[in-house]
Amino acid sequence: MVTLDVRPQLIDALSALRDRVAAVRLPLPLDGTPRARQTREELLAQLDDYLVPRLRDPEAPLLAVVGGSTGAGKSTLVNSLVGRRVSESGVLRPTTRTPVLVCHPDDCHWFDGVRVLPHLTRVWMTQQEEDGAAGAWSGDEENALRIDTSVALPRGLALLDAPDIDSLVVRNRVLAAELICAADVWVMVTTASRYADAVPWHLLRTAKEYDASLVTVLDRVPHQVIDEVSRQYAALLTKAGLGDVPRFTIPELPESAGGGSGLLPTTAVAPLLAWLTHRVRDPAARQQAVVRTAAGVIGSLNVRMPELAGAVAAQYAAAVRLTGAVEEAYATERERVRKRLKAGAVLAGDARTRWRGYPRDSSARELLDSLVESLAALLQCAVAAADEQVTDAWRREPASAAVLTSGPDREVSERIGMAVRRWRRVVEELAEEEIRLLERSAAPDPETVAALLAAVLLGGHRTRVAGERLAERIGAQGALRLRDKGGDLVATYIDDVLHGERDRRLAPLDALEVAPEPQAELIAALSVLQKEM
Amino acid sequence: MADVTDATTLADGPGEIGSGRPDVRAKEAGAADAGGKGPGAKGDSGGGTGRRWNDGLIARHAFGRKGAAGAAPTVGVEGIDENDGTAASTEVHQPIGGTYEGPLRVRLDALRELVGLSRTRIEGTTLTEAGRVLDEASTRQRLSSRHTVVAIAGATGSGKSTLFNALAEVPISEPGLRRPTTSAPIACVWSEGAAGLLDRLAIPGRLRRRPLAGGDGDEELQGLVLVDLPDHDSAVVAHRDQVDRVLALVDAIIWVVDPEKYADAALHERYLRPLAGHAEITFVVLNQIDRLPGEAADQVLDDLRRLLDEDGMALGEHGEPGATVLPISALTGQGVGELRELLGRFVQERTAAARRLSADVDAAASRLRSVYVSDGRTGLGERSREEFADRLAWAVGAVATGEAAEREWRRNAGRACGTPWLRLWRWYERTRTPGGGVPRAEVIVEDELTARQRVEQAVRTVAEDAAAGLPRPWAQAVREAAVRGAVGLPEALDELAVSAGPPSGRPARPAWWPAAVLAQASMTLLQIYGGLWLVGQIIGVIQPGIVPPVLVMLAGIVGGPLVEWACAAAARGPARRYGQDAERRLREAAAGCGRAKVLDPIAAELMRYREVREQYSTVSGLTR
Repeated sequence: MVTLDVRPQLIDALSALRDRVAAVRLPLPLDGTPRARQTREELLAQLDDYLVPRLRDPEAPLLAVVGGSTGAGKSTLVNSLVGRRVSESGVLRPTTRTPVLVCHPDDCHWFDGVRVLPHLTRVWMTQQEEDGAAGAWSGDEENALRIDTSVALPRGLALLDAPDIDSLVVRNRVLAAELICAADVWVMVTTASRYADAVPWHLLRTAKEYDASLVTVLDRVPHQVIDEVSRQYAALLTKAGLGDVPRFTIPELPESAGGGSGLLPTTAVAPLLAWLTHRVRDPAARQQAVVRTAAGVIGSLNVRMPELAGAVAAQYAAAVRLTGAVEEAYATERERVRKRLKAGAVLAGDARTRWRGYPRDSSARELLDSLVESLAALLQCAVAAADEQVTDAWRREPASAAVLTSGPDREVSERIGMAVRRWRRVVEELAEEEIRLLERSAAPDPETVAALLAAVLLGGHRTRVAGERLAERIGAQGALRLRDKGGDLVATYIDDVLHGERDRRLAPLDALEVAPEPQAELIAALSVLQKEM
Repeated sequence: MADVTDATTLADGPGEIGSGRPDVRAKEAGAADAGGKGPGAKGDSGGGTGRRWNDGLIARHAFGRKGAAGAAPTVGVEGIDENDGTAASTEVHQPIGGTYEGPLRVRLDALRELVGLSRTRIEGTTLTEAGRVLDEASTRQRLSSRHTVVAIAGATGSGKSTLFNALAEVPISEPGLRRPTTSAPIACVWSEGAAGLLDRLAIPGRLRRRPLAGGDGDEELQGLVLVDLPDHDSAVVAHRDQVDRVLALVDAIIWVVDPEKYADAALHERYLRPLAGHAEITFVVLNQIDRLPGEAADQVLDDLRRLLDEDGMALGEHGEPGATVLPISALTGQGVGELRELLGRFVQERTAAARRLSADVDAAASRLRSVYVSDGRTGLGERSREEFADRLAWAVGAVATGEAAEREWRRNAGRACGTPWLRLWRWYERTRTPGGGVPRAEVIVEDELTARQRVEQAVRTVAEDAAAGLPRPWAQAVREAAVRGAVGLPEALDELAVSAGPPSGRPARPAWWPAAVLAQASMTLLQIYGGLWLVGQIIGVIQPGIVPPVLVMLAGIVGGPLVEWACAAAARGPARRYGQDAERRLREAAAGCGRAKVLDPIAAELMRYREVREQYSTVSGLTR
């Protein structure tokens, strides 16, 4: 038995690579994301189910996966190769719903653990079931792999009957692709009426891309046209650059459609069985088959890893764009709020009327109330405008679908109102403190001072008079001190509110944890692997 | 109904030949349909006069002849077609569709209207499909209605060409085992006059064939145009494109599947599921049943039915409308006769084209559904309008203005009716406290009286309220209308705040005011009088007598505050009224301004949406 010459470093590098691939998250729905997710799944399947186990145990049996379109006669072919009905076959499509693995009894231990296809639960065929009607198996177990043994197969060969690659049941399709990824030898079955179909050709091209050990079977060919069809198929294969792929032709027999015993005569499948047996028995042939597929998969990593890394980078770029849009919107609004504050926008409407009426027609409390409300309105407006900008910018980004919030946040105004009330409280405390410092018999009313201070801080140039009045009441120095402190307060509170809302908006995006590191890690893992090869 | 018919017949009887005015004809058909809901609507040829097309003299003669001969082999609307024999070369145009015509016409018109109304609101790409349906419908309606174009589609090697030949009874399409075989659509025409239809399918002249003996033998297939398509699952992409192109244009489709491929994902996912709405014009034939042993054929057929059902395609069983499923063997001829019969009946009904278009409209409508329909309640509620007005009132400061006006009024009243001594004391108080002096009149010219942020917020909120429950493009349109209307709104409100604000100068005084002032003045006079009297007694000018002057003075001293108090009490009501007036004036002015600038455009947009929504329900056939 010839083994692959594998150094443990290579396996380590591959394991590291596998972990990196498994760690990749692609949460944002970009144009290339579905494809990248598929690449990731495929990579994982190939690494887990094929490459790593194969390199760890080079002497494990050769796994030949029989794949093809619906009704190509895959199950019939497997049954015929084994010489017994191990896989359900029939006229209704899709027939094979649970994949069936057949191997020599001595090889069983290779497949009962989690060495290959770890996520499929093993179902063992009991003797009665084997004796019973073959069609009576319940074939709908989720994620199951039925394992059967047969002495008809040579030692070191395992056959896997996969579901249809173009099944109407999506789960079957995914499973088929996954199983094919686990193959040492791909056995592609097609029929006389199907060999020009698009789907099998896609699979053939994939096989070529990965340079897998491939063998094609042209099944169910009517006797009278066997030569012509065979020639035509050969021509198509040659045209696709697959001329050297071994081809086997099996004529259409009554058994193909489930007639008779449901098994093709041994003569029909003998060449294929012989070829497979040769792969197993002859060390050189086996070596060639195994090395070719393994090398093909490793080689394909050179293309697929950068592809995946590119997708990860695209995710990060999209996340940065989304974050940037939010940050820009809030920064713009912050600037606008400052400008408007300076222009005295808060002292408009109600607040302006109160101010003009103060102190004759309105009290200090009323003035303060209206100023605070006006400030809250300004902030609410800023947040709403920023959100609008963000929504606009995000609408142009397909990635935003993953983080879209449903409708406007109704609690924004409450949060802002609370922040502004807190600010008011602090301003009032400031005023009280200042008055306490004042050593004068006729201390002014703290509320008046607070209202005047708020007017000074929020009114911009419109309330220059307020400053003078404040100075009249508590002295120029005290007024100056209050103004400085209050000015800082206003700036802090506005920043707090806007930053808080911005972070709230960014929270779902941050929760996705799209980071730039995985890209570099993927590339690094790949270069380690390349060094080991 | 008879009158109408005659009138129209006379009106465009002779001018009809070759003129092709589908609109007039369509309305007629619609009218006939609407009127024919009696016993004739059932559709048997005897009572079918109500549904019959009234297409001029030739038609009537033809009908008469046919009726007399009793040779009407099929149901429905076929009287007119006898001119095939008499004037075969003259293409008399008939609108397609028979009984389907009326509703179809209405729905197509509604779709056209819908597309026109929403072109500015919805991106062009969304409407492309609807536009295509409209184009195809008008093209198809211009072309022969006597023909039914039926395409044979299927996977490689399912036996499309064999079936095609079996139906035509001559080997036209070359079946073969070399895959793919048929590379371009081939047509077979059972009667003349289908050139336009085939031109539309872009089938070149060399690929147009006639069946055995030119089709004269098949009375029931007259009018059939059969098209053999390339494989839909071919590895050659050009073939698939051909299939897709032709399938969009034909009147009916025969899907040929075989036991091996009947469950192909390509067939079901790419074609049958999207075309599930076209069930009425779909035949699914399971070919090659000769390859299946025993009862396997029935099993496969049942499985096929199950899959079709899962695809959402209605099955035409038990006389219900839907897809026809039947097993055949094109090779042995089993079932082909039945298919011919079905096809014949189908072709003679002449409703396929209209049913296809109708299904197309259905599909377009369901695809547009998300753009036109949402389950939320639409429209702008009274509450939202009031809230908007409130917010605008806040923005211009109506409440504060009202209160300020009220207080000013009361202050004025107090000043007018207060005792002079009290005023003197107050003045003294003011001068004593720092900063409490009479505020200097501010000279700053204020430019932005209204709170911009409040206006912005009000507009945003009302736009959100109005847009809630609308499909996205329309919500966007509403928002845009609101934003557009809000441009210049703050400036307008600024002006309002000045013009509708409290009048400068002294407010109007109530009638009792002079009396109050007089009373207060007389109280003061009484005090002075009493004082002078006392002084006079003291200096001895006047005879002493302490009681009367003291009483007079006391009356003045007590009466002054009394009058003041009474005045304040009396002034409270008018002051409040005055303040409320000021507030209301400003509020109404602001609300009116907001209504004109923002609410009206929003309402117009909502109205437009409702209109579109109505058209949409016509299109989707809900109002039928």
